[in-house]
Formats: sequence, C-alpha cells, structure tokens
Amino acid sequence: MKSTLLKAWGRVWPYFAVAAFLLILLQIGHWLKPIVIPSVGASISRLVDDLNNSAFWRQVGLSMYRLGIGYPIACVLGGFFGVLAGLYPAFAKFLRRFIAFMQSIPPIVWLPFLLVVLGFGNTPIIVVVTIASFFPMALTVLNGAEGVNKTHLEAARVLGANKPQLLRKVYLPETFPAFITGAQVSFGNAWRSLVAAEMMGGVAVGLGFAVKFAGEIADMSGVVMYILVIGIIASVLDQVVLEQLKRRLLHWRYVNQGEGK
Amino acid sequence: MKTLELRHVNKMFGSLQVLNDINIKVDKGSFAAIVGPSGCGKSTALRMFAGLEAPTSGEVLADGIPVKDPSPDRMLIFQEHALLPWSTVEDNVGLGLEFANVPKKERQERINTVLEKVNLSGFNHYYPSQLSGGMRQRVAIARALVMDPDVLLLDEPYGALDAMTRLTMQNELLRLWSGSGKTMLLITHDIDEALYLADTVYVMSPRPGQVTAEFHLDLPRPRNRNSERFAEYRQEIMQLLGLTE
Repeated sequence: MKSTLLKAWGRVWPYFAVAAFLLILLQIGHWLKPIVIPSVGASISRLVDDLNNSAFWRQVGLSMYRLGIGYPIACVLGGFFGVLAGLYPAFAKFLRRFIAFMQSIPPIVWLPFLLVVLGFGNTPIIVVVTIASFFPMALTVLNGAEGVNKTHLEAARVLGANKPQLLRKVYLPETFPAFITGAQVSFGNAWRSLVAAEMMGGVAVGLGFAVKFAGEIADMSGVVMYILVIGIIASVLDQVVLEQLKRRLLHWRYVNQGEGK
Repeated sequence: MKTLELRHVNKMFGSLQVLNDINIKVDKGSFAAIVGPSGCGKSTALRMFAGLEAPTSGEVLADGIPVKDPSPDRMLIFQEHALLPWSTVEDNVGLGLEFANVPKKERQERINTVLEKVNLSGFNHYYPSQLSGGMRQRVAIARALVMDPDVLLLDEPYGALDAMTRLTMQNELLRLWSGSGKTMLLITHDIDEALYLADTVYVMSPRPGQVTAEFHLDLPRPRNRNSERFAEYRQEIMQLLGLTE
C-alpha cells in the first residue's frame, strides 16, 4: 500500500511543486503591491465562489465549445493532408513551403480579416483555432509519413500485399504515432490562439474575453483567477487527457523491455 | 520447387556499376551462399531474385520464368528483421496469410505450427520490442516459412546477432531446411557460415560486383567446422578475398 502511494507521489510531485512555486510568486507579488495584486487566499476564494456561479461556467463552456469544433477539424484535415503529402512527394514539397509561409503569420493576425468576412460571433474564433492547429499537425504527420521505414514496406510487398493493403497494414499504422504527437503539439497552439482571439474582440463570452474584461474593470482577483483557470484547463487537457490517450493508443511503445529473454 | 538464375546481369545505380555480368545458378532444393565484402553487390543480386530490384540488363529467372514482382513464393529474410513494431508476434507472422485472405481459424493453426518449428511457442502476444535479437529473427523466419515458399532468400540474417546465437541459429536453419526441398540462397560476409550451411558457395568481389569463384563443396553433412577440408576451403576463399597475409 505504502509503495503504490510512494510511486504515485513520485509521478505527481512535480505538478504540486509547480503549483506551489507559482502561488508563492503570487503571494510575494501581493506583499509587494498589496492593492493591485491579490493574495493567494483572495484568488482561491474567488475561484471557489465562481465555481458555483453559472456565469463562470458559461465562459468556460463557450471556450471549450470553440476549441471542440476548431481543434478536431484541424487535426482531421492536418492528418489527411499530411498523409497525402507522404504518398505524393510533389505535393509534399508544396505543402512544406505552404506551411513554412503560413506559420510565420501568428494565427490571431487573421482575426481582423475574419471578423469582416464572417462577422462577429463564434465562427471567426473557431477558424483562428483551426488555422493555429492545422499547420503543426500537417507538418508532424507529413514528417511521420515520410519517415515510414522502407524495409517495412518491402517486407509487406514480398508477403504479397497489394496497394490498399500496404496502406492499411503498414503505412497508416506506422504514421499513426505522428497523428498523436501532432495532436499534442497543435493542442498548445490551438489553446493559445483561442484565448488570444477571445481577448481581441468580436465576442462577449469566453475565457479570453473574461480576463480582458476583468482587467478593464480592475477586478484583479478575477484576472489572476482566470489566468489560473486558463492554465489549469490546458494542463489537464494536454498532460492528462491527451497523454493518457497517447499511452493507450501507442501502448506497444510502452511495454516493458526485455521480458522475453 | 525452383531453380534460381541470374544470366549476364548488369546493374547500374545511376553511373555506378554495382553488378558486372553476373552469372549465378542455384539448383532446385539446394542451398547456395554468396560471400563477399561489403559493397560487392551481393544484396542487390539477392533483391533481384526477390523482385525488389530489376537488372539494367540481363535476366533474372526463377524456374526459367523472368522475375518481375515480389511474391510470397520467394520469401526474403531481411538483415534487420523488418518486423512491424506495433503488431504482436502472432500478427507479424500471420501478415502474409492475412494479405492472402486466409480465414482466421486456418491462419491461427498455421501460425501456431510455425512458431513451434522456430521454438517460439507461447510468444504469440509479445511485441518485437520485448524480444531479443535472435528471437526477432526467428519470428522473421517464421513469417517467411508460414507462407510455404519455394525459395528462401536470406540477406545476412544473422549479421546483427552475437557469435553464439549465430551458431545456434545456423543449426536451426539447417534443421528447418533439410527435407523441405526448398531452394535456399544466403548472403553473408561470414565465410564459415557459408561453408557450414551451403552446398555451393559463390565468391564475389567488390565494385563492380563480379563472381570470382564458384565452389561446389565436397563436404559431408553434418558439417564439421574443424575438419581439414573445411579449413582448406576457408583458406582458399580467404585468399580469393585478399584476407590472408
């Protein structure tokens, strides 16, 4: 019993350490500028209050809604074009150039353009999220597809595989890990661009908007609280949800080594 | 069961001539080996029999019929096992059967039979990463044998293994081959391995690849690695390859 607790602690303590470190910084900030920077106590109690407040959950809900549409679409499109590029080298050359150019433009730069073309509301934000996560996803999958081991393909051909079988049984499974790692990388981009886009205007709900609004009305404990919430949600989604998904889907990478000797 | 033949085969990769007028004939059911230093083109010659490379000129024949494409009739065993890391031993061994749409029940039986032949019964659900190098090559051999090929092509299959495992695997290979009637062609840079396993040994020299000698071994089976005749052959081949001082 004790050893499983110790093992669990061994994995989890860095998270607590980070949280503690940040809260200490916050508290030091409060002591240095007490009027402006809220104490840890005030921030936490504000968070607890808001957890019971439906307005807070509406902010969270809208952000998640936009993420939940924009990010998966980007993953599917990015994966599709990445694999296509792996199969057609000429297209790969084009796609690389295209990604290199587009990635130099910060995704929220598109927002003013999208607001005019699509109007206000959720759609421009969703499009920004999609743009932000499409390119890293496509690039990661493209690299994964190009990295498929030629010997594996040859072995399958000798075994009598036709083209569809090569695709299904070798090419796609070997590219699959790149889907997962690509999804993890693009998640960060998606989240950051989501919050930034919500801050830039065009919407009146969402975590990014809430942070900006709290700042504008000098609701500092709200500002700090929303910063914490934004960070925590992203961490949980990335390091817990996506990471667990990765371990489950790629379990063959994580089996213990050398059991069979 | 098949005869293998390369007739006046030349191979260029761009402007590099890899093979120069190669003539090799492997009789049905016999065991042949090609020995040579790195870069002499022996792997390329093997890959031509597998249908993975085409000659620039000349003919590649199996039983008199030109070889065009890879086929499970002529199974190739790669130097680096080439197992799919995301599949279990069972799924790897059964891959060719799946491609041929063999029904699951029959597949399972054939897989289990062949795993027993290579001493890997019970390892069905292991992943390649959990196996040692020797075991992985055994799985590769099982994957080839389960297709019941006429020809087995082996590309330095034991090159990556330690010396002792290599000797064990050589004995296993002989056991699997004898009585099967399969035609075997082995590529190796281990002279002893060639002499131990094969009936006919071709010696090749590097760029451009040429066959410099052909030995039809007059050695009894089971081979004695320490017999005088064995040592004489070894000496002759080493001299041909410029390995003696």
